[in-house]
Amino acid sequence: MAAISLLLGTALAGFLAFLAGIFEDSESNAGSASNPNSQVQLAPQIGNRHRYFNKAISGEPPANALWATTAATIAYLLTAHFGGDAFSVLIASIIGAAASTLLLCAYGALSHISRIASMKNFEQTLYWDSLLTPLPLDAAYGFLTALILTLLAFAAHGLLGNPFSVPLIALFFGITIGAIGSSTGDIYYGAERLYQHYIFGSGIPISVQGDIDVKGEYGYRNSVDTPYFTMRFGGLVTGLAFGMLIFLDAWSRLFTFAGVWTGVIVVSVLVLIILIFIYLLEVYTRKRYGRYAED
Amino acid sequence: MIDPVTATIMIIAGGVLVGVCVHFIPASATGAMAAATGIATGPSMLSAGAGLAGIYAAAYSIDSGLAPVIISGAVGSALMLLITILCGNIVLAFGIGTPPVSGQTASGKSTFGGTKDIITGFEQEGYRSPGTDGHGMPFQTVVSGTIGALMGGAGGALVFYAVYSMTLPAISTENAVALAGIVAAGVFLINSVLPAYVLVGKTEGMFDMKIRSMHRTFISCLVTSSIVACVIYAISWLAVSGVVA
Repeated sequence: MAAISLLLGTALAGFLAFLAGIFEDSESNAGSASNPNSQVQLAPQIGNRHRYFNKAISGEPPANALWATTAATIAYLLTAHFGGDAFSVLIASIIGAAASTLLLCAYGALSHISRIASMKNFEQTLYWDSLLTPLPLDAAYGFLTALILTLLAFAAHGLLGNPFSVPLIALFFGITIGAIGSSTGDIYYGAERLYQHYIFGSGIPISVQGDIDVKGEYGYRNSVDTPYFTMRFGGLVTGLAFGMLIFLDAWSRLFTFAGVWTGVIVVSVLVLIILIFIYLLEVYTRKRYGRYAED
Repeated sequence: MIDPVTATIMIIAGGVLVGVCVHFIPASATGAMAAATGIATGPSMLSAGAGLAGIYAAAYSIDSGLAPVIISGAVGSALMLLITILCGNIVLAFGIGTPPVSGQTASGKSTFGGTKDIITGFEQEGYRSPGTDGHGMPFQTVVSGTIGALMGGAGGALVFYAVYSMTLPAISTENAVALAGIVAAGVFLINSVLPAYVLVGKTEGMFDMKIRSMHRTFISCLVTSSIVACVIYAISWLAVSGVVA
């Protein structure tokens, strides 16, 4: 029974983590919430009025930790009070995620307004449509992230047997997914989506930073279009990263060949394999793209 | 189980390890625009993410003794960091269309001099996009990051196990694990943010000249961790003595 629970937990946790990664990246991109928010903030200073939703409340890891922990705490209290079968965990997680989404909406709206207001000297206008149109979309992604991280925390505690309590696991996952999301998917938003009018195959030179795309296919570009673009690649890679982490971490504990050291041995082998993949990818990109004509 | 004084020293050592590890993990906020070498986020937050993944992994081994906890934390942290680096390089390679390259090494300002990757021997000069300070994580920074993650994960797990040992006589196992997790996360966050004042948002790990300023981080983390360890010791002592319940 314990083995089936572990197997089920590993598969479920990996799948949930994959979904959480996609939604987290989309949420941060819809709200310009991570490192590329500096470019959206810089744009008016070099004369680019924009209609992006810019709600960087804090760094991505603490923000996600806040949403996930709020949702998980409420869900945990509800299940502790009313009983904890699978269906009630789902309902309680939805209620918890809804509460954390309200928090996200409040912080997001105030953050956007204050960030745009601080650009008054550079003639950036506070467009209501740039706040009211992307906010529900951002909140929807935020809701899904908080919901899935809460379910993941329940799975890690209940099925995988992590000794931490559910809200604490949600806090850990929130910080980790924020660190992964801002390190992987955000590159696609910051170096590709915001700078599509620059030639593909180059980093963004410091001298042109802030010169972001403000025009879309039809009229001004807004933040609703952003996840539509980034989810096709950046979001998937973020999901792959977080999904892989949770899945491999759980998978390494399915074996028992070396007692307490089994997990350590399996993870060490995985670390070596990933190192080889990183090396091969570097070799491939150097051959594929070659040197730049000028430096 | 270990005695409270040893546990206090372990908290201090763990805190210092966490602080020092940030110097080894290549990260840069402008990396998100593929404008600087390193993982595309602040060094402190990235280290926190890796460290907490390590503490999460270490928690599974809490009943197995000190050594499995520390090593599980270290490799769990390294796994998180390497997956992040691999996926970051995938986005860079196929989403942006650039190879990973060290900006500091390409301009000859690396700690060890020269313009080649010190491990693979790959030439860095010429592979950097014009106007940027490199992008992605070339292999030498990956190795540096792995060393940093191993140190950070081990440091976090050390604090986790020390607090667990100190509080276990006073409270139930479940509560001791939760409390140790919270304290370890707190100590990790405090000590991973302190190096930000030395690194100012960007480092290429041990190949960056900023590694020479590590003594400042060491001293500040030593002082901070000592204060935190004394507070934890005092509270645990009061709890174990039955003064506070």
